[in-house]
Amino acid sequence: MPLASNSLSNMATRNPHPIVRVNGIHKYFKRGSEKVDVLNDLTVSVPEGEFLGLMGPSGSGKTTLLNLIAGLDRPSSGEVWVGDNLISQMSESQLSAWRTRSIGFIFQFYHLLPVLSAYENVELPLLLLPLSKAQRREQVTTALELVSLKDRMWHRPGQLSGGQQQRVGIARAIVTDPQLIVADEPTGDLDAKSASEILNLLEEVRKILNKTIIMVTHDPRAAERADRVLHLDKGRLIEDVVKATAGSA
Amino acid sequence: MKFLGLIVKNIGRNAIRSILTALGTMMLVFVVTLVWAILAFLNVALSEKNANFKAIITERWQIPSQMPYTYASTLCEGAATKPGDVRPMDSMTWQFYGGSIEKDRAKRGMNNVLFAFSLEPIKLLTMMDDLDNLPAGQAAVFGKSVKALQDNRQGIILGRTRMETLKKKIGDTFTIYSMNYKEIDLEVTLVGEFPEGRYNNSAAINRDYLLAAMDAYQQKNGKPHAMANKSLNLVWLKVPDSATLSKIASQIESSPLFSSPQVKCETASSGIAAFIEPYRDLIWGMRYLLAPAILVTLSLVISNSISISVRERRSELAVLKVLGFRPNQILTLVLGEAILIGALSGLISSCLTYGIVNFPPPYGFGGIKFPIAFFAAFSIPLAALWWGPALGAGTALVGSFVPAWGARSVKVSEVFSRVG
Repeated sequence: MPLASNSLSNMATRNPHPIVRVNGIHKYFKRGSEKVDVLNDLTVSVPEGEFLGLMGPSGSGKTTLLNLIAGLDRPSSGEVWVGDNLISQMSESQLSAWRTRSIGFIFQFYHLLPVLSAYENVELPLLLLPLSKAQRREQVTTALELVSLKDRMWHRPGQLSGGQQQRVGIARAIVTDPQLIVADEPTGDLDAKSASEILNLLEEVRKILNKTIIMVTHDPRAAERADRVLHLDKGRLIEDVVKATAGSA
Repeated sequence: MKFLGLIVKNIGRNAIRSILTALGTMMLVFVVTLVWAILAFLNVALSEKNANFKAIITERWQIPSQMPYTYASTLCEGAATKPGDVRPMDSMTWQFYGGSIEKDRAKRGMNNVLFAFSLEPIKLLTMMDDLDNLPAGQAAVFGKSVKALQDNRQGIILGRTRMETLKKKIGDTFTIYSMNYKEIDLEVTLVGEFPEGRYNNSAAINRDYLLAAMDAYQQKNGKPHAMANKSLNLVWLKVPDSATLSKIASQIESSPLFSSPQVKCETASSGIAAFIEPYRDLIWGMRYLLAPAILVTLSLVISNSISISVRERRSELAVLKVLGFRPNQILTLVLGEAILIGALSGLISSCLTYGIVNFPPPYGFGGIKFPIAFFAAFSIPLAALWWGPALGAGTALVGSFVPAWGARSVKVSEVFSRVG
């Protein structure tokens, strides 16, 4: 195992400039009259440029944590900071604007719009920014080049393989040049070869563009690519594992 | 505008459903346009003017009104016989002459019949609604037609639609075989046409010609024509204000000259309303039941289509939100789809309705054959071209609002639906 355990208490010394700070968050859902705790007093810090993996069994709270960091949900208590923004206090409208500029999303099932071409799918988040058509074209082309799909830019999702669709998803995630990319099991719907290609691409994105990536995964091979892996169980952080070569990449 | 492409592509997502929705919209807009065309025309006819309005004199107790022509000259003076009596500003007599250009009765139909106003030609320019305030250019052209009818008492002026239906052109001479003036068939020459619009289906002949034909009938047969004593259908008076109208009405209704048959004088709109009275329930039903029911149905058709569309792509809408689309932008996208379908199909429908209804056979119907009072057929007004898009867009907006609000409220966490 190329991963080495590290204690939670050591994180502060490793992350002098964290981009994500989750401070003592608590999250529960209500099912009828029953209150279900999903995250319990969780504190996490993610330094800029880190590739972080989130693992844990179903119901451990990893996707909920991802939602909170991405501003898709709000904690019941506690704070979530991304950069200088206290996103746990933002309104729905503020979060929408913030997500456009600051977060790139990669989904397990790609979630590309079937009626749009690869180009148009990648262009979608740019429509929300004050950019000219020429500026949008330049950014979309660059993103598609980075994922090696420029020659397929006018294909619709139905005309692309799963791996190619996920590459379009990655291009869409990076096209606005966000500071943080969140990925929800990005290889969960792919065969081993395609999954490996996608993970290679994510590593490239992190290296070339210096992006911070937070990835939820069940796949140990995907987790191996991360600099650090947080293991959650029953809403608590039970293990914080740092890859031996982390920081040397 | 940046989202227009997205809206259009979403409409094309399920082409069959979009086409069916558009066809449903077009059909319903077509029916509403027909109904509104009739109601709008009647509204105009029944609305009172504040000044320079017209009074209508008819037989008091009978519809259709049939008065002796000997009433005409006195009525046109407002029955002013004594010093101090008030006279109208202008006047016009109407005799209805109906016939067909087809001699064989068995072959008579809408394509060859003709109902003409028999009147003093100059009154076309001064007393007929909408013709008395034509734009200068149109007035000059129409003035030539009126002059031609004055100069040639055997002349006839036709509306464009009627002209095309009868397949006649200016200069053609033909015979009208009468339907209500038995044995008084008139040979006429087409000398001009009405301006495009309200009078597309109308016809006008010189009253002197009809009167002379009745005289000729009497000379030939040794007795007056059966219609001789009841050929005056209406008399129109133009008055400056309601006080003058009241005075003239009093003069006419108190005059012993008009005792058999008795006459009544009222505002034009009241007179028309009396003609329309037998159709009151039908018109009420059209206005307050049929048209609203169609609009509600139209809203439901669009609501159903948009609801299905939203339900099918909840996760896509959630993805849009995740990417940063604001709730109101999602709302706008969904409403935009509905409004675009509604407005486009409404526009197509109203254009087709205008053409199909107004164009003469064989290209169209030559007007809505809905004979009420002395209105033989109704044309679709030019204004109806915006009724369709407005109707389509309006009902689409109403119908799609609830599903669009549902789309706006989609939870972004639905794309990460697992509580992992």
